[in-house]
Amino acid sequence: MIMRPGHQQLLLPVNPLFLWASLIVALLINMVPLGRAAWLPDLLALAIVFWSVHQPARIGIGAAFVFGLLMDVHQTALLGQHALSYTTLGFFAIMIHRRLLWYPLLSQALQVLPLFAISHLIEVVIRMIGGGIFPGWGFLIAPVVEAALWPFVTLLLLAPQRRAPEPDANRPL
Amino acid sequence: MPLGTLDRTAPPLFNQGPSALSKLIFFSALALFLMVADARFNIVQPLRAGIGAVLYPIQWLALKPVQLAMGGGRYLEDLQTAQSKEADARKALALQSERAGQADTLAQENARLRSLLELRQITQTPGRAAEVLYDAADPYTRKLVIDQGLTNGIAPGSPVIDEHGVVGQVTQVQPFTSEITLVIDRDLSIPVQNVRTGARSVAFGDASAHGGGLELRFTAANADVQEGDLLTTSGVDGVYPAGLPVAKIDRIERRADSAFARIHCVPMAHVTAARYVLVLAPTANLAPKPAPAAAADAGVAAKKKADKSGAKSDKTGKSDKADKADKADKADKAGKPAKAEKKEGRTP
Repeated sequence: MIMRPGHQQLLLPVNPLFLWASLIVALLINMVPLGRAAWLPDLLALAIVFWSVHQPARIGIGAAFVFGLLMDVHQTALLGQHALSYTTLGFFAIMIHRRLLWYPLLSQALQVLPLFAISHLIEVVIRMIGGGIFPGWGFLIAPVVEAALWPFVTLLLLAPQRRAPEPDANRPL
Repeated sequence: MPLGTLDRTAPPLFNQGPSALSKLIFFSALALFLMVADARFNIVQPLRAGIGAVLYPIQWLALKPVQLAMGGGRYLEDLQTAQSKEADARKALALQSERAGQADTLAQENARLRSLLELRQITQTPGRAAEVLYDAADPYTRKLVIDQGLTNGIAPGSPVIDEHGVVGQVTQVQPFTSEITLVIDRDLSIPVQNVRTGARSVAFGDASAHGGGLELRFTAANADVQEGDLLTTSGVDGVYPAGLPVAKIDRIERRADSAFARIHCVPMAHVTAARYVLVLAPTANLAPKPAPAAAADAGVAAKKKADKSGAKSDKTGKSDKADKADKADKADKAGKPAKAEKKEGRTP
């Protein structure tokens, strides 16, 4: 078993239920009506990239596409807009998944920034072609916020896998 | 499975499925197809409705915290605010009850006059109250989502109003919710009539303005419009009932280099803060589209007629907006109210 630097501990296998639940929760948070601000981070995109990097055999481009369609219908956006941007996200995440995890968390966040930037750019370009209203330059902030959230999301979503394999009195969880 | 994970099963060595690139190409092509189908051909409506129905429980769940927070805020609102609001509501009711009393007699009178003049009777449009669920999060359009859908009998194209004026039009209907495109959306246009002069024109959404507004295009720079003029629906489109307030003219820019004035309007309805709206049934009796050549002929004929008899015209002249505005101008010059022209225009 190859140990990556910074990983003192072997991770437990992921619980597929937790994986899907986290994606659904991200979708839920995305759906909370907070207004139509373009700078709000897209947590679903973040979750999709995270699981594509950590579990590429389970979450991939197909799942990203389906979640994209759900977002499109919820946002009453052009059907296929989020689907395309999430598909590209999934693809690039799978492309970098072997390399990315060898780096420390902050460096990982820097490396996923271009992915989010590309996905947001795709959405803006599609809507500009489709005759939408320009949402303001706030959309440039969204990928930065998403990348900044990467370390926290990593800590949160890997926590169940960091539990002790056999809990005892010293390690209750 | 990344390195450093204890997994109970080994990752598949050979059965990896299609490559990531081929998946990307397939799904991107599918997404592009969907976008074109959605934007140009309108054939993915069933798919949208299906996904919407599946998504509804999750949407309901996501709405709960926000509704709870808002409801909780209102619950804790102090007594004084509630009392002052009630007083305001009572005053408004008193004002309205006087007008409502008059409205009955006026409606009777109007019906009798219309039958005397052999005009078509104005039909009452039934409405359906709905609660606004949320502003659509899509930052590229201006839409609302309401809690009434196909199961409540909402039809696409229905006009939507609030207590102050026209909010917009239902553009997508899903099983339990519907989307309303606001009047300030760039893609929505609404035929309006200036209450003061009777001139008809078309107002277009202008979301680039601060906070969103409307714009009257193709109005001649020397046309009789003033800041503060009220625009109401003209009723010529067969969608909006006539006489609903739409917008107030806010700012007029007349430029030397253009034959048209730039006219900015503010919507009367509280489009961004509406909580309850009324979905009206579409007036529905749309005139059949005339053949283009015949329409052109008729248009010319109508113009000649209008020239001869001042404000007189017929409905075939409707086909051209510019023509319409032209006629309205003529009606003005002839000193006759263009409302008469409108009524003429609606006779079959």
